[in-house]
Amino acid sequence: MYGFEAMTFNIHGGYLEAIVRGHRAGLFTAADYNNLCQCETLDDIKMHLSATEYGPYLQNEPSPLHTTTIVEKCTLKLVDEYKHMLCQATEPLSTFLEYITYGHMIDNVVLIVTGTLHERDVQELLEKCHPLGMFDSIATLAVAQNMRELYRLVLVDTPLAPYFSECITSEDLDDMNIEIMRNTLYKAYLEDFYKFCQKLGGATAEIMSDLLAFEADRRAVNITINSIGTELTRDDRRKLYSNFGLLYPYGHEELAVCEDIDQVRGAMEKYPPYQSIFSKLSYGESQMLDKAFYEEEVKRLCLAFEQQFHYGVFFAYMRLREQEIRNLMWISECVAQNQKSRVHDSVVFIF
Amino acid sequence: MVVDHETPSLENGQTDKEVEENANVLQFMDSMDAYLTLIHSLSSTLRRGWLELASARHSMGASRVNTVLLDHTSHPAATSLLVTQDEGKVDSGKPHFTLCKWASSSNENSLLGEKHSSQDKLHPQLRHRGSTELYEEKTSSENKASREVDDPVQKERSKSLSMFGTLVSPKLRAAQLSFEAALETLVEIANMRSEMLCAFDQVNMKLEGRKDEK
Repeated sequence: MYGFEAMTFNIHGGYLEAIVRGHRAGLFTAADYNNLCQCETLDDIKMHLSATEYGPYLQNEPSPLHTTTIVEKCTLKLVDEYKHMLCQATEPLSTFLEYITYGHMIDNVVLIVTGTLHERDVQELLEKCHPLGMFDSIATLAVAQNMRELYRLVLVDTPLAPYFSECITSEDLDDMNIEIMRNTLYKAYLEDFYKFCQKLGGATAEIMSDLLAFEADRRAVNITINSIGTELTRDDRRKLYSNFGLLYPYGHEELAVCEDIDQVRGAMEKYPPYQSIFSKLSYGESQMLDKAFYEEEVKRLCLAFEQQFHYGVFFAYMRLREQEIRNLMWISECVAQNQKSRVHDSVVFIF
Repeated sequence: MVVDHETPSLENGQTDKEVEENANVLQFMDSMDAYLTLIHSLSSTLRRGWLELASARHSMGASRVNTVLLDHTSHPAATSLLVTQDEGKVDSGKPHFTLCKWASSSNENSLLGEKHSSQDKLHPQLRHRGSTELYEEKTSSENKASREVDDPVQKERSKSLSMFGTLVSPKLRAAQLSFEAALETLVEIANMRSEMLCAFDQVNMKLEGRKDEK
């Protein structure tokens, strides 16, 4: 249909597509979540999870369990699956799979730099880094005083190097600079990933363009809402939006000048896909916005599996698994805090 | 008929002494009721705060809301507690606790904010029946003062949250407000407990006085 992928895709990608579709079948259903929501303690959750694919990762954890332990062990399962796929992948799929982890790499860089600024121990920081975003010499980040040193000493040899060109300054690192660095890096990463997918062409380009555009738009909304009432100027806010997506460029112009959530709603409701999201919220309310966006994302990710012979299924699987881990985190927190009535505030069913 | 001048009786047969004792007991029970109400309020505020923090973690991600980001550099406390003794009263020696919020950079404004809020609690606003212009000038100057108080306070709030980043989710800000309210409630509990213990001492003293008389 696009470029005869059906004839050649399975030569290099057939095995891994089958693997990822098998993993997809193991994602929790609504019935699984309902069982988990009935749990009274974290040990009950562990008992329910022992009958799932997470069982081997949690079986040796002693009681009392913590919510962070459940999240860490479930994330290890995702990491193992990812590493298996990466070591079996050939180009360009291996590069595609690596792109999926650059977001976590950026988060880890910011975590180390922020923690070092707050005089935290480097080992402590490394333990909290996301395993998918680890790279050699990450510990050396702790010695950098400004972004130029950050780039020169460590990041020049990492995949994040090309994204630094827009934020290299000699200013010392502080909370505002670090935040701008985080968002500028993420913007550059998304744009680079988008271009890479466009270059791949075919069904991958079609499906990934939609998913990445949604990600860029969601980021723009979150940046807008989170910057309301802060010192971030309109120009600086506008610079953090990605240069693609449904909202680019006119939606971004409107979002850049928004001063409250209702103005954000006014800007977003002009776009039909986002009108349905904001229609679920009442005026002045932003608490359920995250859940509404996650639900829309999950819908789009599930649709990626309806087509064959493209790389979007790998991206979709990783994101769906991360959503599942977020659901488990929320359910665990509600159970641990004895607030089970609030469990459905943030759980997003996948199937 | 012999009139006893030392213990004059009232209409319902109670003496002044008994009225005073009843008043002490009522004061003790009122303060205990207020204390228990505050404890309950603290519990629900803390529950709300912890859930909002979990919600912020869910929204922003575990790497952004994390204990490893807490600031270990030396810096002045954003909030402090002032303990004073009530002097010149019968129950002198009773400690009084005052919370000085966001006092690290703008002491005057924070204390002004506290004074405004405490005055509002003690003296509910009455309708002004004077000249309209005078009323409007007064309320606009009050509003200006409260806005001037709010801006430095808002800046201090954002500064304390900046350890998690400068662009944080509204859920994290809501959690901050909940824990701030919990801190205020804790100080109210301390003051109420002090009053309760003082009232209890008064009741105890009267009871012991009665035993001695018998």
